[in-house]
Amino acid sequence: MKNKLKVLRAERNWTQADLASALDVTRQTVNAIEKGKYDPSLPLAFKVAALFAMPIEQIFSHAEDA
Amino acid sequence: MKGNENGSTDLNTRINQSSVRLLLCTSGWVTTTAVVAFGPRLWWEFDPTMTLIAIVLNLITGAIMLVAQYRHLMSMDELQKQTHLEAMAITLGVTAIVTVTYGNMEPAGLLADTRPTNILFVTGVTYIVAVIVLWMRRTSE
Repeated sequence: MKNKLKVLRAERNWTQADLASALDVTRQTVNAIEKGKYDPSLPLAFKVAALFAMPIEQIFSHAEDA
Repeated sequence: MKGNENGSTDLNTRINQSSVRLLLCTSGWVTTTAVVAFGPRLWWEFDPTMTLIAIVLNLITGAIMLVAQYRHLMSMDELQKQTHLEAMAITLGVTAIVTVTYGNMEPAGLLADTRPTNILFVTGVTYIVAVIVLWMRRTSE
């Protein structure tokens, strides 16, 4: 699964730690998601979508669709 | 928006609190285990009633430790939780294989004396190594 987390975070000048704090996860988890080493759970993906006020499919996409 | 070095303060506080609880509960279990192991010989001269009480206390503190372990797992974020659960699965497999092999060594004449508690060492080391390797694989920068 691919995602635009790094781009969206950079647009807002947030650090990984800032985003981690807002999502109540560790900074390492944010880093792993950004690098595609870990796919977040559905609840966490929805939390990300709510935080960026965007539809979930605009942030996360299947690797073959991206 | 401001965060701290490791991410969420709430998460860190939660994990720290559950870690302290787990440490205390594990210490309690280790203590009662030592009492069961050494008490009959050193303190109450194999009085069966005292031994039974010590065993019941050991089982109760063991159950409390398990609850603390579960709560500690639930206090983690999802990547930490998944890492620990995968490490537990690996540990279960390794322990099963090593137990069977180790158990066959005495009847096969390779070892004179096998002790089931030796397996705990393999279990502990496997779990620690699995957690470290899995965590490093996913979180390396």
